[in-house]
Amino acid sequence: MNRTRWNDYKWQLVHALPQAPALHMALDEVLTDEVAARRRPPTLRVWEWSSPCVVIGRFQSLRNEVDQEAAQRHGIEVVRRISGGGAMFIEPGNTITYSLYAPESLVAGMSFQESYEFMDAWVIDALQGLGIHAWYQPLNDITSPGGKIAGAAQTRRGGAVLHHVTMAYDIDSAKMLEVLRIGREKLSDKATQSAAKRVDPLRSQTGRTRAEVIEKMLATFRTRHGLTASRLSPEELEQANALAASKFATAAWTGIVP
Amino acid sequence: MHGEYKMPGGKLVVADFDVRDGKLTRVRISGDFFLEPDSALTMIDVALEGLPADAGNTRHAAVVRAALGPNVRMYGVSPEAIAVAVQRALEPAA
Repeated sequence: MNRTRWNDYKWQLVHALPQAPALHMALDEVLTDEVAARRRPPTLRVWEWSSPCVVIGRFQSLRNEVDQEAAQRHGIEVVRRISGGGAMFIEPGNTITYSLYAPESLVAGMSFQESYEFMDAWVIDALQGLGIHAWYQPLNDITSPGGKIAGAAQTRRGGAVLHHVTMAYDIDSAKMLEVLRIGREKLSDKATQSAAKRVDPLRSQTGRTRAEVIEKMLATFRTRHGLTASRLSPEELEQANALAASKFATAAWTGIVP
Repeated sequence: MHGEYKMPGGKLVVADFDVRDGKLTRVRISGDFFLEPDSALTMIDVALEGLPADAGNTRHAAVVRAALGPNVRMYGVSPEAIAVAVQRALEPAA
């Protein structure tokens, strides 16, 4: 496979109104497949959440990762995404989440580690423009002197790569620790301090509103790679709604690794 | 039984299973690692199912490696890390 470049594509931006967690999971699958089938140009999607949730990784044990009783008590839905990686605690307005959908040729010949860093180089650039000394921390984190800012995950399907990232903008650490079970083994790693301590959100680091941070990120992407405003087609949305109902909102999928 | 292992430079690997008649059963490997394709997770569980619990790390890792073959890509996890998680479940005090 020959390597392609960012500027070989007309990148599309999708930034829709708040959507439900299961629909976001479904949109990632549908849009990755649409880009793989070349029915949609490579796309950057910025997520807006309509309700709080925990998103667990494809290979995580539901029971081991989530205190489901606590999640229910707080009205927090639990969904599973199609990529690997760790659990994320989401409250609307507290995170900045985005997905990139691209032909796999964009990362052809790269190791996984190289491809993660490559797909987020524009974000490191944007964060530096916001005054944050940020860098890529293998395997899949964006970090800063104050702590972790974001976690990334990738998956590849049918010749396309999905790369999505959740950045902490603001965070209710106490609630997060009630809902997520973060094991001692994970905390034993020197590089992985307690989840509450190790996250340093963008709000305190930048003093900017969430919308301003997103605007800065999009401006950086536009300057580096070009970016055209776009929207989900009615067919894409219909397909994603159907998939949300038939897969991502079901106990069978969420509990596929019990 | 439940064992966890944070692979150095990698991700967390978790093993949950029972031992019956000296064999691993109801094996569930999980964690915040990455596998391509995602169906490889089931291949790992199936490969470990029924293995003698006392076969040892090297043997457990070799069976997982053989089951996955050359086309499965792993990031933040390895057959050896999975075998260590299994071992830790068997010897919680170790």
